[in-house]
Order: sequence, then structure tokens, then C-alpha cells
Amino acid sequence: MLLDPEFMTRLEQLELVSRKIFAGKMRGERRSRRRGQSVEFADHRNYTVGDDLRFLDWNIYARLDRLFIKLFLEEEDLHVSLIVDVSKSMDFGEPGKGLYAKRLAAALAYIGLVNQDRVSLYAYGHGLRNQLAGLRGRHLSHRMLSFLDGLEYEPTSNLTLACKHYAIRHPQRGIVILLSDFLDKGGYESGLRFLLGRDLDLYVVQILSPQEIDPPLSGDLRLTDVEDEDVAEVTVSRALINRYKHNLQAYCGGLRNYCARRGITYLFTGTEVPFDQVVLRYLRRRGLLR
Amino acid sequence: MMQFLSPATIAIAAGLTIPPLIALYFLKLRRTVMPISSTLLWRKAIEDLHVNAPFQRLRSSLLLVLQLLVLLLAALALGKPTLTHEKNREKSLVLMIDQSASMGVDESGNVTRLDIAKREAGKILETMDENTRAMIVAFSDRATVVSSFDTDSESLKRKLNDIEQTDGRTTLTEAVALAEAYTQNMIIGGPTAGSDIEVQSTEAQPGVLLFTDGRVSDTATLSPQRLDLSKMEVVVVGERSDNAGIIAMDARRHYERPEVVQIFATVRNFSDRAMEFDATLVINDRHVDVQAVRMEPGRWESATGDAESSSAAGGESNDEGGDPNRTGESAVPARPAEANLGAPPGSMAAVAFDEVEFEGSGVVEVRLSIQDALPADNKAWAVVPPPRALDVLLVCDWCRPLDGALGSIGVTLSTMTTADYEAAPDDQLFDGDRSRFDVVVFNGHDTARLGIGNYMFWACVPRIDGVEDRGVIDNEVVIDWDETHPILRNINVESLDVYLWKRIRLPDRAVRLIEGESEDSTLLAYFTSGASQFLIVAFPFVFEEGGKPYANHGWPEDLEFIMFNDDAVDFLGSAVASRGLTGVRTGDPVTIPVPSGADAITVSRPDGQRETIPAAGAATVAYARTHDVGIYRVDPSLPGQDVFTVNLFDADEGDVAPTNSFTVGGSRIAARQGQVLVNEPIWHYFVLGLLVLSLIEWTVYNKRVYV
Repeated sequence: MLLDPEFMTRLEQLELVSRKIFAGKMRGERRSRRRGQSVEFADHRNYTVGDDLRFLDWNIYARLDRLFIKLFLEEEDLHVSLIVDVSKSMDFGEPGKGLYAKRLAAALAYIGLVNQDRVSLYAYGHGLRNQLAGLRGRHLSHRMLSFLDGLEYEPTSNLTLACKHYAIRHPQRGIVILLSDFLDKGGYESGLRFLLGRDLDLYVVQILSPQEIDPPLSGDLRLTDVEDEDVAEVTVSRALINRYKHNLQAYCGGLRNYCARRGITYLFTGTEVPFDQVVLRYLRRRGLLR
Repeated sequence: MMQFLSPATIAIAAGLTIPPLIALYFLKLRRTVMPISSTLLWRKAIEDLHVNAPFQRLRSSLLLVLQLLVLLLAALALGKPTLTHEKNREKSLVLMIDQSASMGVDESGNVTRLDIAKREAGKILETMDENTRAMIVAFSDRATVVSSFDTDSESLKRKLNDIEQTDGRTTLTEAVALAEAYTQNMIIGGPTAGSDIEVQSTEAQPGVLLFTDGRVSDTATLSPQRLDLSKMEVVVVGERSDNAGIIAMDARRHYERPEVVQIFATVRNFSDRAMEFDATLVINDRHVDVQAVRMEPGRWESATGDAESSSAAGGESNDEGGDPNRTGESAVPARPAEANLGAPPGSMAAVAFDEVEFEGSGVVEVRLSIQDALPADNKAWAVVPPPRALDVLLVCDWCRPLDGALGSIGVTLSTMTTADYEAAPDDQLFDGDRSRFDVVVFNGHDTARLGIGNYMFWACVPRIDGVEDRGVIDNEVVIDWDETHPILRNINVESLDVYLWKRIRLPDRAVRLIEGESEDSTLLAYFTSGASQFLIVAFPFVFEEGGKPYANHGWPEDLEFIMFNDDAVDFLGSAVASRGLTGVRTGDPVTIPVPSGADAITVSRPDGQRETIPAAGAATVAYARTHDVGIYRVDPSLPGQDVFTVNLFDADEGDVAPTNSFTVGGSRIAARQGQVLVNEPIWHYFVLGLLVLSLIEWTVYNKRVYV
């Protein structure tokens, strides 16, 4: 079970925060950039032939003898896309990164569903694999949870390809939350660039296990990459561990800086951090949730 | 320049240790397989460490490299590495200059090997600073201190240039002994003669520089006490190896036809090419005979293709020039499998002139008509005495059976009674102090009237110091005898049944040839006294008992009695009849008999120099300056002893090809051609490096600070 009921109850108090206003497909609970049919006045504009006469401002016509159309704010639903890395490398660590990512995605998706946002779930390995798109409403939470629970790990990963697929197939704008360890040998820059091109409200959540943050290794080892089975023969020394940690820090720092410079919100968590604390404290503090 | 005295050891040690180490190293490291999420950051970390680490390529296998270095150093240390350089560090130097016959080889345009050696030694002297002292020893078969320790390099160079060529053989023992003696009590030459100042020397051992062509016969047996010859610097001079020479020669009269002289010479080719030349026989400066000699190459082809010689004698004779079908350009023979090579076949030849009629006395010379590296062995001389029988005087009152025996052995026998002998005038018996007879035999007559000569006493004793008649022994048996002695070699002593013999006290130096049971119980004894020889037979022919004579033994009826007298007279008279002043090898001393009344002996050397040796009152004088080959004449002299010859007769000297390796006292010393070298053992530096590397390897292994 990805989410226990008690925790789901606490999640119902939260909502996803978008730093941008997007156009939705349906009227929802969020203010839209488009002028629509809500009760909240937005602006006037000159009448042109063909406009709906119901929106003529007769009071102004009476006073100025000119025709003006009243514009009202439109309230629309929010598109929330959760892209979860299900490559083999996510099935690593104790606690596992993959499970952690699924639970985090489930929590965020549930919050979106509760708030009538249009939630789409995607899993990627070597490109986008599974998807569950267009969920809206609390009643679909079980479907969402079973989708996430049933995701299998892919042998390899390709973030660039996954982002490219997403950008091509999903023209609508909204919040995109990308959950991965970002340990992709193809790099993360080109993939994120595809998403940046769509003017999305992009969140990047990097999840690493404690075994990756502080490797408990020693001796002469033959390190095997679980995805591409690449082999690195090492004799672990203090110098090597220090160098690895330094490189990890630089890698994560590089990702953070890359995101910061491009308006992407970068979030980092280790799987040893309790899941509820991340959702209820860290994500709220970082502004993803409210 | 570094070289190894045992290079084969390096290959063996490295071959035995390094491959197993490499195999073990790769077998040893079995890495644990560890799956991880991504090798992305690990690879980067590895690359970073490689890039940041100095010698990063080595670090990947640092332990292996260190262990290989340790093994390599151990293998190199086993190879006895020496560092060869030209620097003189010692403050005291001993320069040993070889002046033997082979150093006289003309290397190029009248420049001999000795000249080259002196030039190289001169270079050393030129580099001397004021704190360096040097001593010069010249050696062949004898060693001469040319200069004691001196700091004046100019003076040393002058003395160095005065070293003369000899025809001597090469022995180093005496030179080393001299150098050691001077080292032990180091003396620095003062500014003027006689003002040497003895110093208390506590400094390190002097450096020894040996300048030679390498043909030193006794290096293996050197056992210096003070000098460290393992550090000896050896400068080998010379390159030529083309030489053939006479290595042995004898001239003797025919046993049955004394007017015929037989001359035999052994000639050997030491070069790596076949030779063809004439051997000429010259007697008293008159050409008598010529023989053509053809010789095959005298060097084996080594495994490397170079020619090399063998010092061991052997090989077949070839007095007719060998196979006429073979040309003068024939190849060096291939080395056979046997370890003891001997001379290659055909490289030795026996030259025989066996039907030369010559009744007088004189010098026989064999000449080889050849232009080769060493002229000194192209001639050999031998003195041929005139044919004559030994003069034997028998002094007896009862002469049988001695007169019969002596009369039958081909000597000129004179007989004299004991009374006549004692009454005879001196000039009848003696020529000055010497006996006129080659051998004098006394039978039963003790006498003190003895000149310098050869004497046999039958049942009597000479009245000289150390000899005394002490009565008769009649109750003992013969228990021991020396059947190998020339006098007894034809005698069956076991069958000699003697009833009684005289108890005679003999000098300690006497050789007891037949002994009885008790002290002073000697039946036959030989000893020398001064220049005289004495043979004493202690048993009489007859003895009296109860007024009646009885035969003491049955020897006179036996043929062995004649043979005994023949052998005894030959033995006593051999010094006169066959050997005398015939000839010696270079460096060997010659004993010259002094005629009566002569105060000095003059020796005329082959180079024309005359040397006068004081001889007043002496029966013989010893002459040792036989460094040059040739004919030496003596004046005044005894009849037939006015000349002697000196020959080289040394295969080591004849083999003039320089040698570059010596074994001194068990350790090999390498040498280089014409350069002043220092062989300094440096194996201990290798061992030190080995220890340091082991320490580093241990540290690396424990810290594991490598990737």
C-alpha cells in the first residue's frame, strides 16, 4: 500500500501550488488566464459584431452611448503531470528509491485529485512507457494508486527520450513533477531542455538512497552497473570514497544550479528521510504544496 | 660503466622469480562483484584519482611494480655488479707493469705492448695530486720495485719509462708480495736520495693498477694478505694474436752412436690462422738442416664465433706440415664438445733433426723463419756437450768385485790403492778444489782427502762433519727402502740378504735409501755436502769371523750388482755428464761452477753486456738475471761448462692474445682494453635499494592508498 488512509486524510488538507496560471480543458477551481464565465469581473472591451449580447454592459451604453462587452475571469482545472523514473537503478538502496518515488508521486497525485486538478501519471525507462492520463476527482485515487503500485522497473533509462516523448505528446501546460535519481549517463540537460521549451511549471525531485550518498564499501570490488552492466574495478580507499562523495556533491550541485538558472524548482531527498516529513514539511516549505 | 661479473646469475634468478610473481599477482586479486545503481560517479572518481595521481599508470599496479623491482634488484645484486669508472679515489697507488716476453709484441709501428702500458700508466701519474703517492713494480718472472712510494709524479714517470722489456714469463705473486711489503711500511720518497721518510700509515688500502696483456699464469693462486685485489684495476694492452713459437726443445747424443746428435723441438701455432714456415737447424752458427713446417690454426672457434685459444697442451704432432691439401686460409676449427680442449688438431708440430753428426761441443739452435707477434720464441738453443765417458777412480786395497762391475759399465776406470791415494800429489787427484774424476769410489777406506766431487763409499765413510762410523750391526733385517729412487729402481732389494753392516751416523739431510730396524741403521744413504755428493753403501763384501773371511751377501754374483753400480755412477755423474750448464727457461737461476782460483765469473749476456759476479772461495755461484733468451757465455769456466742457454719455452707467453678476465684469489676481475678502469662492487647498493623498496611495498600494501 503506497499511502495509508490516515496519511491520505492529512493530504486532503493540501493543494498543489502552481507558480503560473495555465489554461485548462474544463472549468475548474483555479483562475484561468482566459476570460470566461465566472462571476468575478475582469475587464471591458469594445463590442464587435458577433459578440454575445448577454455580456454587453448596458449601464455604460446608457451613460456613454457606446457598446462595451464585460469580460469575466475564467476558472479552469490544473494539469498536473507526474513523471516517475522506473529504471533499474531506482530499484536500489534501502529503503528503495523506486518505492519512495512511487509513494511521493501517489501523495502528490492524490492531492491533485482531491483538488480537482487534472492529474496524469507517467512512468519512464528507455522513454515514456506507461501512462495514466487525465484523472480528475477523488474517486479515481484508487486507480491512480493501483497504477503506481503496478509499475515494473525497466532495464535501462533514457531521460532525454522520455522528456522528448512527453513534450511531443502533451501540448497542454501545467505542473510537471519529475521524480528520478538523475543518474543518467546520457545527462539530464537535454531532457530538461525539452520540457523547458513548453513553458511548464517544472519541478525536479532527485531521490537518492543512503547507500549512494555514503557508500558502505571496502576492499577490492568489481562494481557492476545494474542497468548497462558496465564494470568498474576498484580497490576502495578513503581517497576514493572522498572523491566519490565530492563528485556526487558536484553532480547534485550541478543539477541544482542548472534548474535554478532555468526556473525549475529542484528538490532533493534521500530515502532515509521519513516520507511523511518530506511531503508535509519539505514540499510545503519549498512551495510545491500549500 | 656498470658491468656484471656473473651475468648468467641474473637471468637465472629473474627467470625463476619474476614469472611466478606475475602469475601469483594476477591469480591473487579476485574482486568481489558488487551491483550498484550506476557506475557514472565511480568512473569519474577513478578517473579523477588517476589524473590527480603522479605516475597514475604505475599506481594501478603499484604493488606489482614494486615487487617486480624488488625481485629485479635481488637478481641484479646476485649478478655481482661492479661499477667501472676511471676516477682515482685512492690516495696510494701501486702500478704493476708487466714486462714479460709477451709484452714485447709489436702492436703498431714499433710500439710494443710495454710502451702502451707505460703510456697508460703515465696517464695515471699525470692525474696525481700532491696528496697522492704511487709506487711502481715491474714484473715478469721476477718483480722489481721500480720506484717506492713517491709523490713526485715527474720522478715516477722517469722511472716508469726506464722499465725494460724482458723475455721472462709472467708471474704476479712476487710483485704482489713486494707491493704488500711496501704497503705495510709505506715510505715516501724525499726530495733527495736517501732521505726517505717513513710514515705511520693508517689510511685505507692502496689502489692496485695492473697493466698487462692478461697472460698471467698465477693469478688464481694469489692470496694477498693486505692488498684487496678484488678491487684491482686491470688495464689490458695489446690486440695481436698471431704467433707461433718453440715451446720445448732438447738436444742429446745418440745412446749408441755418441757422434750423432738428435734434436727435437715442439712448435705450436697460437694464432687463428694456419701457418707455414721453415725450421732451420744451426750448430755453432752453421746452417745444418731445414724442415718445412705447416700448422693448422691454434684457436678453437668459440660459441660466439670468435676464435679462442686453449692453454692446455695436447693435440697431434705434425712434423711434415700436415695435410698438404689444406690451404693457408683454412678456417678456425669448430670447438668440440669436450670441456678439456687441448690444442686444436694440427696446431702443434714436432720438429726432429735426428741424424746430425756432430762430435764437438757447441750450441744447437733451431730457428723458425716467420714474422709473427713474438720473436722471442722463434729461436731456441741447446748446449751439446762433447761425447765422452765418465772418469771413475776406484780406490781400494781389495778391489774385487767392484773393479769388474765398474769396468763393465762403459766408464773410464782408474784404480788406485788406498795408500797411493793418500800419498798422491794434489794435482794428480784434484784440479784446484775439485776432483779430477767424475766419480771416485772408495772400498773400505775412510778418508778426509776429498775435493769437490762425487763419491761412493763402500763399507767406509768420508771423514767430514756429521758422518761417523759407529760400529757394526749384525742382528737386524732390512725393513724399508725407496724403490723409486733412480739408484734403486732396477734393484730388487727384497732379495738382498745382508748379514751385517756398519752403523753410521749421517747428516740430517741424508736420504736413507735402504734402512734397517734401529737408529742409524742405514744400508744405503745419499747426501750432499757443499757442492759434493756422497753415496754410502754400509755393508762390506766380506767379513771375518774366527779369523776366516765370509761373504756378507751374494750380490756380486748377481747381475743386479752391475746394474746398481751403473745406476749409482750415472746418478752421481749425471750433473757433469748430461745436465751441467745446458739450459734453463727464462727467469730460472743457473748454478755456475767456479774454477779453482777464480775470484770472479764473467757472464756475457745475449745483448752483449758483460756481468762480473764475485766468486772468491766459492765452489759455485748462482746467476739469476736470465730474463733474456739467448746464449750466455761464462768465463772462466770448467771444461765444457763455458756456455748455457736461456729459452722461453712457455705456452702462456707464446699465446699472446690478450685476456680480458682474471680470477684473483677466487674472485673474477674483468678488464678492459687499453683503459684505466676501476671495478667497484656495488651489489650492496642494490641490496639497500631492495630493502627500501620492500619497506615502501609494505607501506603501500597496508595503506592501500591506490586505485
